[in-house]
Amino acid sequence: MSVAEVIDNARSEGRTLLTEVESKQVLHGAGIPVALAILARDAQRAAKAAEEAGFPAVLKVVSPDVAHKSDVGGVRLGLQSKEEVEQAFAEIMVAVKAAQPDARIEGVAVQKMAPAGTEVIIGMSKDPQFGPVMMFGLGGVFVEVLKDVAFRIVPLEPKDAREMVREIKGFAILDGVRGQKPADLVALETLILQVSKFIEAHPEVGELDLNPVLAYLDGAIAVDARIVVS
Amino acid sequence: MTQLSEAGADLQKRLDRAFNPRTVAVVGDKRAMGYLWLNCMKTFDGKLHSVQVDPNEVPGIEAMGVPNYKSLLEVPDEIDYVVCAVPRPIAPRIIADCVEKKVGAVALFTSGFAETETEDGIAVQEQITQTAREAGLLLIGPNCMGIYNRRLGVRHSTDQPAGDRGNVGFISQSGTHCINFSLVGALRGVKCSKTVSFGNAVILDAPDYIEYLANDPETEVIAMYVEGTKDGHRFFDALRRTARRKPVVVWKGGVTAAGSRAVYSHTASLATAPAIWDAAMRQAGVVQTESLDETIDAVNALVHCKPGTGARMGLIAMTGGQSVVITDAFERAGLEVPLLTAASYEKLSAFFNIIGGSYRNPLDAGGTIGMGFAPGNLQKLLEILEEDENVDAIAMEVGASFIARRLRENPAMLDQMVETLASHEERSGKPFLAIAHPGHVEDVMADIRARLIARGIAVFGSFQAGALALRRVIEYWRGATARN
Repeated sequence: MSVAEVIDNARSEGRTLLTEVESKQVLHGAGIPVALAILARDAQRAAKAAEEAGFPAVLKVVSPDVAHKSDVGGVRLGLQSKEEVEQAFAEIMVAVKAAQPDARIEGVAVQKMAPAGTEVIIGMSKDPQFGPVMMFGLGGVFVEVLKDVAFRIVPLEPKDAREMVREIKGFAILDGVRGQKPADLVALETLILQVSKFIEAHPEVGELDLNPVLAYLDGAIAVDARIVVS
Repeated sequence: MTQLSEAGADLQKRLDRAFNPRTVAVVGDKRAMGYLWLNCMKTFDGKLHSVQVDPNEVPGIEAMGVPNYKSLLEVPDEIDYVVCAVPRPIAPRIIADCVEKKVGAVALFTSGFAETETEDGIAVQEQITQTAREAGLLLIGPNCMGIYNRRLGVRHSTDQPAGDRGNVGFISQSGTHCINFSLVGALRGVKCSKTVSFGNAVILDAPDYIEYLANDPETEVIAMYVEGTKDGHRFFDALRRTARRKPVVVWKGGVTAAGSRAVYSHTASLATAPAIWDAAMRQAGVVQTESLDETIDAVNALVHCKPGTGARMGLIAMTGGQSVVITDAFERAGLEVPLLTAASYEKLSAFFNIIGGSYRNPLDAGGTIGMGFAPGNLQKLLEILEEDENVDAIAMEVGASFIARRLRENPAMLDQMVETLASHEERSGKPFLAIAHPGHVEDVMADIRARLIARGIAVFGSFQAGALALRRVIEYWRGATARN
């Protein structure tokens, strides 16, 4: 499905929030590196999808009503076998229904678990004056507690992506501090510029979150994605 | 040069007519305002007309030697620029007359529109906006002071200098800041080419003026005071494009929550989150400032200091205590104070007075320069710093207490110092800053500042102010170098 088709489909169902599977599909189509996810509606299909994608597997609940999947017990990581996937599927269904009884559940998104890397967040929201504004920061407490983020107005030029990555206070962590391996800064900058281009080409995108993006010594990939259309 | 679109080129031409008028008409000036506008235009190097229907006002106007008419349509000449100061209910009629007369532009001084947040105010603003938009009339304001062109003597304050050229353009949402920039700037060596106070910006908005000044050959540096903008993306775009061609300084008002509330009642524009505004300005490559003083200081450094990207300072102070704090000030502002080269130390050791002084950098040079005042020594110090490859820029304290005392003993000393600094400035390739705190002798220091400024030297009122201005300017030139 094209971007327009995915968005039309969501709108026809009265949704402005694209599911993780849809969001990733759309971003993948734009050449943005994402860990693609397969939608599985039951435990058996989830197990089959995990076998196709490869182990260890990750399961995440797919629901138009759930904004923070891990808060409702909707995420399971590091599943090593078909049996573990089937069991995790059942557990997710129970947990989400208990936490949010009226949530519509479409199934789970199944993907291969990406190896550990440095977590960063790349996002976009709309400012009433400047329009689409991109945000970059390190994942976890750095963004949530310390608000250590950098902003740039869309469209970004290569220098903007370069400066944005280096502007955050936690840059030393990306650059390799105390024996840690440095993150692939070029890959991050490229990803930021790709997202900027994607947003420019699709003004109907009102909000976008790649959280987290995992940055490695070589390459970077978005393992979760969320798009809101306006 | 960026190629202008056809519409852009047309607007440029039309704004050029308004900013460089040959005929000006003032509508609705009156005695109660001290004939403010006609007095402002006394310096105007062109034909001035008045339009006033009140028979009580006409004799006063004619006594000023200005021909008066009952309507703009009766004025026999074409009119390039109109200042309209009529009461709000009359404004729509004058705007309609401007359209019919095909004037170059009209600045609507009249206020009481959307900024009052009243139904009436908003309705009349919409009415004049619609008239102007449909006719393609260039409307400046309303709620503004309009244009100042120093060279042509088109003024919006009777205190503004006129008759000579300037090279700094200023764009302002506020009339007060527009006037103050031109007045205080003039005192500190910043000469305006053209300025505009644009108020509610219903037709012409900040980006239009930015583009105009970007293409104005007379304007070398652009500064502005803004509180918000109707179309942030267009504003951002204009800044980004312009900052590639000439330095742009942006002073934002209404940054705090309470400040942004004041912005709305001032010019009725929306506020954006400070972090996003800050990022946008950084991305656009403009210099950001937070006050009138900082804005003038940054412009001063852009206009009068040699463009440099290096942050290593050579510092000269008059006493030990000042050597310490000038160093702190520059380091705190993000600049560096390195050791000098061995060659410099060898030269300095030959003549530097180390009794009560030192020369590691900073140079604590009061004794070396000042004993009987030896201008030759000052020149030697400047030459050594100029040649030193560890030094990118030079700042010197022109110490108030030191100077006041010496001046009493030797009045010729000042002439020598000014000469030495001026000839250094002429020959030097490095940014040079004189720092002249008014101290306890404000009048003496005002005179010294004026003499240095007259010789094209950038003078700052405190170490912090000089350091901050230089840091910002270095950042601008670094950005400009990286982009080009």
